[in-house]
Amino acid sequence: MRDGDLTSRDVAALPSTCELMEREWSPCRHACPVHADVRGYIEAIAQGRWRDATDLIRDNLPFAVVCGRICHHPCEANCRRRDVDDPLAIRELKRFVVELQGAEGATVHKAASQDKARVAVVGAGPAGMSAALDLAKMGYRPTVFEKFPVAGGIPATTVPKYRLPREALQIDIDWICAHGVELATGLEIGKDKTIDDLRAEGFEAVVVATGLAKSRLLPMPGADHPRVHPALKFLTDVSFDHPVDLGQNVLVVGGGNVAVDAARSAVRLGTGRVRMMCLETLAEMPAYEWEQQEAQEEGIEFIHRRGPIEILVRQGQIVGVKARAVTRVFDENERFDPQYDDSDVIELACDTVIMAIGQAADMGFVEGSSLRQDDRGRLVYDAATQQASLPGVFACGEIVTPPGSAVEACASGQRAAVAVDLFLRGHQIRIDDSLPPEIDSIAEDTAEKVINVSREPVEAVPPQTRVKTFGPIDKTLAREAALRESRRCMNCGAGAEVLVDKCAACLTCLRVCPFDIPKVTDVARIDSSLCQACGMCIAECPAGAIIARGWDARGLPARTSAALASAASDGHAKIVAFICGHHASAADWRGESEVVAGVAEVYLPSVARLSVSDLLAAFEKGADRVLVLACHEGADRYPQATRRISRRVDQARQLLAEVGLDPDCLRMLELPDEDGEAVHPALVAAVETLPAG
Amino acid sequence: MIVAERKPFDEILEMLAPQKRVLVLACGGCVTVCLTGGEKQADELASQLRLAARQKGMDLTIESDSITRQCDREFIENLKADPGQYDAVLSMACGVGVGFMSELYPETPFLPTLNTTFYGANTAPGAWAEYCRGCGDCVLAWTGGICPVARCSKSLINGTCGGTNDGKCEVDQEMDCAWLLIYKRLKELGRLDEYRKIRPPRDHRTDRGRGVRRLVHEEMVELEEEESQA
Repeated sequence: MRDGDLTSRDVAALPSTCELMEREWSPCRHACPVHADVRGYIEAIAQGRWRDATDLIRDNLPFAVVCGRICHHPCEANCRRRDVDDPLAIRELKRFVVELQGAEGATVHKAASQDKARVAVVGAGPAGMSAALDLAKMGYRPTVFEKFPVAGGIPATTVPKYRLPREALQIDIDWICAHGVELATGLEIGKDKTIDDLRAEGFEAVVVATGLAKSRLLPMPGADHPRVHPALKFLTDVSFDHPVDLGQNVLVVGGGNVAVDAARSAVRLGTGRVRMMCLETLAEMPAYEWEQQEAQEEGIEFIHRRGPIEILVRQGQIVGVKARAVTRVFDENERFDPQYDDSDVIELACDTVIMAIGQAADMGFVEGSSLRQDDRGRLVYDAATQQASLPGVFACGEIVTPPGSAVEACASGQRAAVAVDLFLRGHQIRIDDSLPPEIDSIAEDTAEKVINVSREPVEAVPPQTRVKTFGPIDKTLAREAALRESRRCMNCGAGAEVLVDKCAACLTCLRVCPFDIPKVTDVARIDSSLCQACGMCIAECPAGAIIARGWDARGLPARTSAALASAASDGHAKIVAFICGHHASAADWRGESEVVAGVAEVYLPSVARLSVSDLLAAFEKGADRVLVLACHEGADRYPQATRRISRRVDQARQLLAEVGLDPDCLRMLELPDEDGEAVHPALVAAVETLPAG
Repeated sequence: MIVAERKPFDEILEMLAPQKRVLVLACGGCVTVCLTGGEKQADELASQLRLAARQKGMDLTIESDSITRQCDREFIENLKADPGQYDAVLSMACGVGVGFMSELYPETPFLPTLNTTFYGANTAPGAWAEYCRGCGDCVLAWTGGICPVARCSKSLINGTCGGTNDGKCEVDQEMDCAWLLIYKRLKELGRLDEYRKIRPPRDHRTDRGRGVRRLVHEEMVELEEEESQA
């Protein structure tokens, strides 16, 4: 046996083979800062299990709606599907399901009793709220103090509403608060109360999560003009519908995402001309590529490789910005170190300047406490324990991490909660940040065998329409599109494992695999980084020596029984319909779509997973008739699946005939298309052709 | 390897008729490889039997288990079920497994679910053909690797006979004449001299002529046994 080989005994000891998913993580999960079970929730969406999907997302990601809208989605950047055609639209799928479910449609995992220590969290952004949520789940009593009148931090106060509608954000806040997280908004620590006050009031720990709430400014002539706006303050004013003094010719200084937000917001406020000026070339700009594109579509002009040296003011009005040429932005070690050519200076006409050159922490919370800051004014902090310079005071989020996205702040907050818990229980704060290994990239010859399916497009609002309002710039995926998109997931890491003690090296897996993955040496070896989890080998292995990590076949008889029990038969024949996951549209739509009387619907990721035994077992479980609804040949996500299952149905029919049962009690039919609506009429028609009970 | 095929279902049902509690026991050896007697096939048969019992109103409890090989005693340790606790065991092994397990469990009837058919090779996915009859006196060295014992209807060792007919055997027009195949192969190999030699009659004592055939590797006989004999 090799290291990592599995035996039937290992698996018998597991409550579910799904535990094996921890052996290796798919790249989407690995790359996700909170390590959400991406594959798991995508599969739940594919089967129409909206609530399960939402719960799986929220298990790791409290700001599910926020991330569904604005996440920088490293999951997608690392999706192995990009080696086949296009990465899965993971963010859009998340947005679809979490907003569909709302706060009520997600399970609240309240602590059995919430009677542990009180913990104060300063700042109700993604980091602070994530820390508070996890502490509440552990039974602590967190109170989050927020200087703004609303919770949510940057997403609530500065992210433009066209990217994140506030009613959507509120879903996350409501769901988090439902766990027993108390909010104290409109209360600024360091001003209305000090951290020392909080300790004196009985908060046994304090978590500082105040983020980077201030825009950096550049000292230069004219910088103090009232029409020179710090970007974050500008965005906050826009967010709260406060009046902003904006002219007709705006120059945004900066090339990051905040700069793009400011520029696009300025466009929406009706400014005549908006330009962005940055040190970087188009390729070097830190703003995401899609943000750049959308900005350009909205008529925003980019001026590259220029740095401002003076804001020109004449007769009290800004008339332009003097900018010098940039010769380089980064040094040889890719560190930010801009160099200029002072002989190349231009004047750019404008009447308003928005400074978006970076963010800084607002250290006001330190006031009145003995928290230490370093010589550059930063909070003294230990990254390993997340402790600040006072015992019991912790920090998380952007105030102590490099600037990042909401999901990274969530991860930092969650880690802080672990640290606080260890501290309050009197343990040494030692946190294991190690992760399971990441699954390898897909080999080229395997990628070629995966059927190409194009990514579902997101319907964007045309630029000429969207610049007029702060309404959403694109639409949420429709249900059918979400189902189609989720079924593109390749189930990375959920595939086959060989139980080496049972394998007879018979070569069957090698012969039935449509992707040519198994290799038989001493026993069969199935490379998990290549396996597409179709289940074909599992159903065909004569030794029962192959299992799937992501799908425990042992659960199927119980599922079949449960489906039979819940299908009302009213004296009719009891029918089990095994339905291909491609047609799962009806799966959890019981309330919405009509159910065919007496038919117990059992959805499978693909009917390729059904073995002859599974078909016979359905009869044993009480079915009088069994139907297999497969995709038509060529439409299944797995090559050859339809032909394989058709042969198994023929074989099972023969076995039934031997027993003396009518083989026509078992039928297979190929569904005409991928439209979920096909299931119901097909079932109705099929039921009519079955032998009478 | 040993190739077997499943007996007709009715025959199996008939042989276990008086029993109430029956174990279907798969074998993880040759019969798994030829897709006849593995765990998957045992589950299918068990399922069929339970359905038949329900259909015919029989009082029959069917369970299933599997074992690495039914022809080695050590593997019985790995059984989850105890065959001794059943009225009968339906063995999915070849005849060797059925016979050997019957010796190990003298109190329990081991019933064959398969007909052991031949020693064969896997000629294509899902297909096996006979290549050897286990005669105990291998002649393949001078027949070009084609066995006349297994493949000639008369097991002749000096063929062909007069019944060869356009390359087919007189017994069955679908069956190739083994000796014509041997002739062609030897010709390809440039060894027709082997074909021209008249071979002495086969020694049937190596076949079934002297009862049960045995093999003992003296060097592997258990030390305790050797001591007790000394």
